[in-house]
Parts: sequence; structure tokens; C-alpha cells
Amino acid sequence: MADYIDRYGRSRSLCHRLPALAKLVMAITVVLVGVSIPVELWPLQGVLMGIVFMGHSLARIPMSYLVRRLALFLPMLFLISLALPASQGFSSGWPIMIRILFRSTVAFLSVLWLINVMPFDQLLVTMGRLFVPKVFIATLAFMYRYAFVLWDEIETMKVARRARTFSGGSLLFRWKTLAQMIGMLLVRAMTRAERVHGAMCARGWDGTVRSIDTE
Amino acid sequence: MHIPDGFLSTEVCAATTALSLGAVGYSLHKLKDSLADRTVPMTGMMAALVFAGQMVNFPLIGTSGHLIGGVLAAAILGPWAGCLALTLVLFVQCLLFGDGGIISLGANILHMGVVGAIGGYAIYSAIRRFLGRTGSATIVAAVVASWVTVMAAAALFCLEFRLSQSAEEFEFLNAFTLMVTVHSAIGIGEALITGVIVSFVLKQRPDLLYSSETNGSVFIGLRRVFAAGMIFALAIAAFLSPFASSLPDGLESVAMRTGIDELERNTIHSPLADYDISVLTESWPILSVSLAGIVGTGSVLVIALLLGRAFRLRPSLADATSGD
Repeated sequence: MADYIDRYGRSRSLCHRLPALAKLVMAITVVLVGVSIPVELWPLQGVLMGIVFMGHSLARIPMSYLVRRLALFLPMLFLISLALPASQGFSSGWPIMIRILFRSTVAFLSVLWLINVMPFDQLLVTMGRLFVPKVFIATLAFMYRYAFVLWDEIETMKVARRARTFSGGSLLFRWKTLAQMIGMLLVRAMTRAERVHGAMCARGWDGTVRSIDTE
Repeated sequence: MHIPDGFLSTEVCAATTALSLGAVGYSLHKLKDSLADRTVPMTGMMAALVFAGQMVNFPLIGTSGHLIGGVLAAAILGPWAGCLALTLVLFVQCLLFGDGGIISLGANILHMGVVGAIGGYAIYSAIRRFLGRTGSATIVAAVVASWVTVMAAAALFCLEFRLSQSAEEFEFLNAFTLMVTVHSAIGIGEALITGVIVSFVLKQRPDLLYSSETNGSVFIGLRRVFAAGMIFALAIAAFLSPFASSLPDGLESVAMRTGIDELERNTIHSPLADYDISVLTESWPILSVSLAGIVGTGSVLVIALLLGRAFRLRPSLADATSGD
């Protein structure tokens, strides 16, 4: 799973060699421009989509990966944007819905490009150099580290649950089991965090994160 | 629940981002007062937990739902660290999963981090105070707060969406009804999950639940949360009211034009002309609507506080809370 999110973050290409800050600014600019282009200038949206796809191919991100990510993203987007025509009894609102679909896809692909042209920790360091407070970056670094630990833990718990319960049961029962699983995870996670914090204090942790600049 | 880019206009995104930045900045400021060396890893872990918890799919008929976690995070970490944790979750989801846009991140943080964690905590702690701080009261408080915050977030989204679309493209009431109906169901799910988790934690490690006593008196803590909520509501009123007012103004000016010049209405110039009017002559109405919004929100909060005071006067409840 960890590999799936930013699989190409550590590969080498023209895009990966660009300075981190430039990549961050480029991705955000594309999103901003895409969102603020007026309706009359719709060809510009197509151009922007072309630019984003070009960026992906320059970064050697394979099309199959894009298709798989979009296959997860587009149905969700479609359902949300369906609220527009649905609010008018499906008689109108379709053009706006298509406009929104297009815009959102450009923005999604742009952010996808950003996380796949540099490692996540480098993105954190870059943001830390900008306006983002140090505490925020430090907590984010902890979260990124712990997320994968808890991910593995929850997979283990799911297997354990499957091994112990027969499939089925009423809907309410299943909800209760699943929620209790998260509760169990919470107790374990907090105990682990306390333990880790204790170990960190023993090694001289004083609340400031010192990182090796990866650039 | 996560709003992708392209749904909200740039102005609405800017306004919501400003509000969220303020709230998160204030949260960070509050956290500096407490023990920073412990807050950082614990908040990071809680954010990771909410993140992992959202991966657990709860089966529904035909579809599935998941935890949102605002009230849960606030119940464990308190309002400020809870808001920070949810912000981190949304941030990572936006970057790594494309769940929610990067420009609309501010709006998402506003809904789930600020309304979800800070607003949720205000409701949660208020109910706990009125019912006494027993285990069952805590569960009831968490359940109610979860449901209310989901509904509030849905209503807020409708408002922002309405402000992003022009009037003729969007039926506000229909969409509002649709959103609120769907989210009352989602809210029940969220309330159930949060309730079960909180009761589980109460059984296993009740010391994990955040208590404001460690950070000073309960009353002062609650009052601060209320004050923050009030400032926040006023800021929303002030920020969003002018946006709302510009829409009827546009309609009015079109109606005015129909009498004067039928043809000009259909040319591309009309939006520009409308803009001129609103800049030159209608700056006072915008300000007055803004003021009206502030006064309105303020009076609602005063009523809420008065009601709260009436509750507090009951001796049995007052004893229960102060004796705890």
C-alpha cells in the first residue's frame, strides 16, 4: 500500500531533477489556473490538461498508473458533482457538471504529479522552508511515519477478526465489531506513542525536530 | 465529504482558507503553551490513527461509509490538538490520495477540522457539563456532538457551494435538502462509530480521554472554547455575508436594466457594469449586510449562552459538575 501512493517519488527523470520549490509552485499554479479559468476560455482547459499529461510523461509516470488512480477518483467525483443536475430535477446543470469534472481532474492529476516527482520527506522540508510552521511539519512527519505502522496493524487486526468470526451477522453487529477494532487500535496506538515518546525523551528529545536536509 | 478542486470558486476558497488558517494558527499557538515535546508525537499518532481508521469501511446497504473522526480526535486530544490532527489528515489525504482538492483544502479543514474538532469539542464538553462527567454522559456527548458537526459541515458546504455558483445554475433549497438528508444518515453512522469507540476507550484506558482539568479549570477551558467559537462564527458571518449579498444585488441590477435597455442585458458587458455599480455605490450595503450577519450570529450565541446559564442554575446539576 505504501508503495502505491507515491510509487515514483524516488525514480529519476528530468522532472525529478528540478528544484523542489519550483515543482511545488508549478503544481499549485496549474491547480489555481485550472480552477480560475472562465467558461469562455474553455480551450485553455484542454491546453492545461495537455500540459499536465506532458508533465506526467516527462516524469516517466506510466499511463497504467494514472488510469488506476483515476479509476478510483472519477466515480467518487462523478457522484458528488451529480448533485448539480440532481438539484434541478436532471433538466439542466449538465454543462456545469462537466466543467467541474474537467477542472477537478486537472487539479487531481497535477497534485498526483507533484507527489510522484519527489519523495514525501523532501516535500516536507520544502514546505518547512516556506511559510509552514515548524511544529506543523514535525507533527506531519510523525503522522507520515505512524500511518504506515498503523496501517500494518489494522491489516493484522482484520486478519485476526476474520479468523475469529464467522462471516455475516447483523449490520449493527458488524458495525460494532469494526468500531471496536478502531477503538482497540486507538488504545494500542496511544500506548505505543507514549512508549515512543518516553524513549525519545531518554534520548534528549526537547520538542524540536532536527532533520537532515535531503536536497 | 472531501470537496475536490473546481467545486468552489476561488473567492470562496480564499475566504475559507483564511478562516482555516486563522483557526489552525490559533490552535498551534494554544499548543505552544502546553507541553510541546509530548504534543507533537501524540498529535502525530492521533492523526495517523484517524487516517488508518478512515480506511476501515463500514458496510451499508449497497455502499460503505467511514469514520470522519473530528469529535473523536478532540475527545482524546482536546480541541486544539484535535483540530491540528484533522488538518494533518486532510492535508495528507489531499496530497497523497487526491481526496479533496489542494485549493479547497481550506474549506475541508473548515468543515472537518474547525467545525468537526473545535466546534465538536464545544458541544461535547457543554453536554458533559450539563449531564455530569460520568461515563454514559461522555458517550452521549460524543454521539450528539458527532451528529451535529456532520450536519453543520453539510450545511456549510451547501452555503459555500451556493456562493460559488451563479443563481440560475443552482437550486439552493433542493440541493440543501438533498445534502442535509444524506448527511443526517452519514451523521448517524459517524455518531454510532464515535460512540462505540469512546465507550471502548472508557472501558480500557479512560485516562486517554482529554480532560481540561490538566490545562486549568473546566469552566475557564469551556469559556475559552465558547469564546473561540463565537469569534469564529462572527468571522464567518463577516466574511461570507458580502458574498451572499452580491447575488441578490446582481439580480436587482438586472431587473433594473430590463426597464432601461432590453438589449444591453444580453451583451457581455452586463457583468462588468454590475461590477462597477457594486464597487462605486454598493459598498455600504455590503458593509451593512456584514454587520447584520455579525449582529445576527452574536444574538444567536447570546441566546445559547443564556440557555446554558439557565441550565447551570439547577442546583443538582451544578453540584454534579462542580463536585466531579
